[in-house]
Amino acid sequence: MDLLLHLCVIIAIYAIFALSLNVEVGYTGLFNFGHVAFFAVGAYTSALLTLSGVPFVWSLPAALTMAGLCGFLLSIPALKLQGDYFGIATLGFGEILRMIFNNEVWLTKGPMGLPGIPRPEFFGFVFDTLPRYLALSAGFALLTFAILAFVVLSPFGRALKAVRDDETAAEILGKNAYRFKIKSFVIGSVFAGLAGVLWAHYATFIGPGDFTLTETILVLLIVVMGGKGTFPGPVVGAVALIFFQESVRFLRLPPEWTRLLGPLQQMIFGLLLVVLMVFRPEGIIREKGGER
Amino acid sequence: MDSISYYLQTILNGILAGCIYALFAMGLTLIYGVLNFVNFAHGELIMWGAYFLFLFMAEPFGLPLYVAIIPALALTGCLGLAMDYSVFRPIRRANRLTLLIAAMGLSVLLRNAAQFFWGAEVRTYGFEVIAGTQFLGLYLTTTQFAIIAVTLICVVAVYLLFFKSRLGKSMRALSDNLDLARISGIDTKRSILAAWVISAVLAGIGGILLALDTNLHPEMGIANLIKAFAATLIGGVGNLWGALLGGLLIGLAENIGVLFISPGYKDGIAFVIMVLILLARPYVILGERSD
Repeated sequence: MDLLLHLCVIIAIYAIFALSLNVEVGYTGLFNFGHVAFFAVGAYTSALLTLSGVPFVWSLPAALTMAGLCGFLLSIPALKLQGDYFGIATLGFGEILRMIFNNEVWLTKGPMGLPGIPRPEFFGFVFDTLPRYLALSAGFALLTFAILAFVVLSPFGRALKAVRDDETAAEILGKNAYRFKIKSFVIGSVFAGLAGVLWAHYATFIGPGDFTLTETILVLLIVVMGGKGTFPGPVVGAVALIFFQESVRFLRLPPEWTRLLGPLQQMIFGLLLVVLMVFRPEGIIREKGGER
Repeated sequence: MDSISYYLQTILNGILAGCIYALFAMGLTLIYGVLNFVNFAHGELIMWGAYFLFLFMAEPFGLPLYVAIIPALALTGCLGLAMDYSVFRPIRRANRLTLLIAAMGLSVLLRNAAQFFWGAEVRTYGFEVIAGTQFLGLYLTTTQFAIIAVTLICVVAVYLLFFKSRLGKSMRALSDNLDLARISGIDTKRSILAAWVISAVLAGIGGILLALDTNLHPEMGIANLIKAFAATLIGGVGNLWGALLGGLLIGLAENIGVLFISPGYKDGIAFVIMVLILLARPYVILGERSD
């Protein structure tokens, strides 16, 4: 039972993470290959603040602001780039951030990581048990879903799609594509930060090793497999892939196999990405009216 | 060691690193020029090149270095061709996001395949570390001498191939305009295959040199990918000589940079340079090609 609840918590967190990436990749067509950076900023900000005694009620908004701010500052130079090179810039940013976490030992304790992150507390109510934490993360997941659905269905969301499908046409219609992309990137970063906060307070330990390219690939695969540019896509992808990933962990395998299991699982993820792109680039759920 | 030769040694180390980055960047920029997309799996060609050599030097083959290099590079070339044949050719006309994500997936697959077969640990080719010979007050090992020599040979070979042969001419035509090249009767398929082989072999040579100078690791490709990107950006995308120059600049900047900042950030220097270039002259990436 605990295993099932644990699975649901992780799925909820990754659903938020994937929904945030979907705003960028799916709706705006930004190739963000460093999305884990904003997840990490959220996680580290909230962890450091709560560890120094700031209540969760304050550390959460601070973490979201910090993630959004990082997204804003990165997007100013990076969004001047066309597709592929934007991907590289974000990839590089993710690596730089991990370097900072590893090297600024006075702040982040470096590779040792931050243990003992407290459970979230709202006005005296502590989310310390598994069912309570599930309620918290599922609540945030629903909230994220609702907010992002609202954003995407609004005229703002239609403008994002217009920028994605034909930037020049959108510009001619008076939409400043650069600004729309920045806004989309900041929104995505804030919600990635939210997922990071939930992750940090759930795991109660974070270190630079938790925020590698592997995480970005996983969340990218979730979005692409579920169906980018659709509402339920990221959620479907999160359920399918996290279920697969976490259940493999609980198989009782001989120890000499587990060394091979990690790379093998990553190989499957990589292969899935390639096969999806070759045979069904739109994912499980196809975007209505989207390009084939 | 007095301070002047210390600085000279730093510059020499920068040039050595730069030679290797240049080899990576030339292959990357070549594929960008011909196929107009960034091959995110280029780092994996670097890494597999080094591991193929390891494969042929270890049991059961046990070949000496100079012999093992030939099948290792041949296999790396084949890997490049296989990537194109199985993944990139079927989606040649797809949109960019599809291409990019496929390349990303391929990179994850190949990187973890290496880890699956050889493990995540750092390996070496098992040569004893030899003290460098002193040359004008600078230390240079045999490997480092080889890095410079091989890079020079590669640059000359690439020059002859691109500017003195029919194949090179057709590749340059392709990189200017694919459709025009096709209706002019150029065998585009053959040129694309040639571009993949050259790109992969350059990556393999660079990877082997890097592994000889340092060590082998499944992450060695992806770690150097960003540097290769930065180098291509400096030189202007699709420009071979720009990539050469950019690689040398990145290598120099990294080695001179650690005199001033913490070595923990050495790998970040390339990224910072990249951002600065983008801020200063965003037009370099807009596909201005001057080859």
